[in-house]
Amino acid sequence: MSTESASAIQKSQVDLVDFVDWSGVECLNQNSSHSLPNALKQGYREDDGLNLESDADEQLLIYIPFTQVVKLYSVVVKGPEEEGPKTVKLFSNKEHMGFSNVNEFPPSDTAILSPDNLKEKPVVLKYVKFQNVRSLTIFIEDNQSGSDITKVQKIALFGTTVETTDMKGLKKIEDH
Amino acid sequence: MVLEATMICIDNSEWMRNGDYNPSRFQAQADAVNLICGAKTQSNPENTVGVLTIAGKGVRVLVTPTSDLGKILACMHGLEIGGEMNLAAGIQVAQLALKHRQNKKQQQRIIVFAGSPIKHDKKALEMIGRKLKKNSVALDIVDFGEDDDGKAEKLEALLASVNNNDTSHIVHVPPGPNALSDVLISTPIFTGDSEGGSGFAAAAAAAAAGGVSGFEFGVDPNLDPELALALRVSMEEERARQEAAAKKAAEEAAKHEKGEEQPSSSQDATMTESASVTASEADNKRNDITDEENALLQQALAMSMDDPASSHELRDTDMSDTAADDPDLTLALQLSVQDSAKDSGSQTDMSKLLADQSFVSSILASLPGVDPNDPSVKDLLASMQSQSEPQEKKDEDEPKEEK
Repeated sequence: MSTESASAIQKSQVDLVDFVDWSGVECLNQNSSHSLPNALKQGYREDDGLNLESDADEQLLIYIPFTQVVKLYSVVVKGPEEEGPKTVKLFSNKEHMGFSNVNEFPPSDTAILSPDNLKEKPVVLKYVKFQNVRSLTIFIEDNQSGSDITKVQKIALFGTTVETTDMKGLKKIEDH
Repeated sequence: MVLEATMICIDNSEWMRNGDYNPSRFQAQADAVNLICGAKTQSNPENTVGVLTIAGKGVRVLVTPTSDLGKILACMHGLEIGGEMNLAAGIQVAQLALKHRQNKKQQQRIIVFAGSPIKHDKKALEMIGRKLKKNSVALDIVDFGEDDDGKAEKLEALLASVNNNDTSHIVHVPPGPNALSDVLISTPIFTGDSEGGSGFAAAAAAAAAGGVSGFEFGVDPNLDPELALALRVSMEEERARQEAAAKKAAEEAAKHEKGEEQPSSSQDATMTESASVTASEADNKRNDITDEENALLQQALAMSMDDPASSHELRDTDMSDTAADDPDLTLALQLSVQDSAKDSGSQTDMSKLLADQSFVSSILASLPGVDPNDPSVKDLLASMQSQSEPQEKKDEDEPKEEK
């Protein structure tokens, strides 16, 4: 069990950033100059200077649809020690949530991030709850120090894909 | 043309009986609301607008966001004046109404008419503003009517807490001879964020100002589409004539640079392209005005303004039409075909890549079933390389020649 969580990123798990449907990605309460792609997109998220920051208060609501159905295994949330996220709730397959109804549904999983997690130690999720994920909603409820702004440097999702047809990938067979 | 769902909050409190706006505050407000609804639905047919009253017995939603203008105008009839305005409740109900909009892709916006004194304090308003910002709702405030101390300040504070990248606005309208709606037309509330102004708003402005309009040729397409079209056609013909003249002069120079990807000659190519397109268009237009040539017009304009790379797609359609018309034209077209064949940065990059043998062989190695050591593959590579080399040599020579 301990070896499993230590190598939480197993050989079959891939980084799901390639399967994110960027046209539908949304983030509520983000600061427009420090926006979600800073934490999610390949390249931007490696840069620790580029963060996702919250705006009016410390909560963030991130909606990530995928281009195909995935199984989610673990998640990595990297942030600064003080303003990094603490309580993170994950909802699978719930579209268009708002801050008002985020407390109405039970989350598929809740993670309280420790300072280790903020240093890129992956958080292993309840695998059984994330077998059939079309979209993921991440609700960051508060941060480590209770400050007004939550900062996130990187969000990475690990899991496997389920073989579904990506409709955008359907191409007409060309005559050679 | 932003896709938006808007809730308009109308102040129907006792203060609206006052006549310092013509004919009464309430009437002026109603006119402004009508105009706003029209402008929103015109700028994007999928926009929806809803109306609620914030005074009277309590906050009441008259119509939920809909794109049916008739329904909105109908509900404005028979509104009672009375009571006191409850701004906080009004905004919250508006936010709720927007939350339950049909099309979740629409941006959320609330427009508040604040005509009576505000009993809430600044802190409460700021909290409301922050909540709106958190849920990405934009807020427009029309401050008119009563001007007690602190009202303007409170509204400014509210705006500051909501505003996210200038999507929210506030307008202070002092009482005076100008109608409320006229003053609002020129504000960002009507014209939208950083837009030049929807056709509707511009037309209304033209009517109100009774003078200069923002349209091309000084004619409103809404009012007189045929006249506008005729004016546009004659402009295009004139432009085509001028371009043809310029093209002829440029052709002389272009002939010396055969098979080159000079920026100047490629520009000539695009000019001839657009000239040929517009020339053929002009012919067509005299006979038959269709939608297709509108598309061609757009493309021609885009081409003459943009880079040569975009001329590719159009070439095929144009060639057949114009080839017969004009020997000069055919010559120019052939020239442009040659140019375009070697045109556009991406293509030369491609050929350079292909010429790089190591790159090609690495690609081939990765392909299953292809053995780079196969003699036939090697021959193919060699021939491609020899082809690209003379091209490159020419490319290098001609720029030196020109300069």
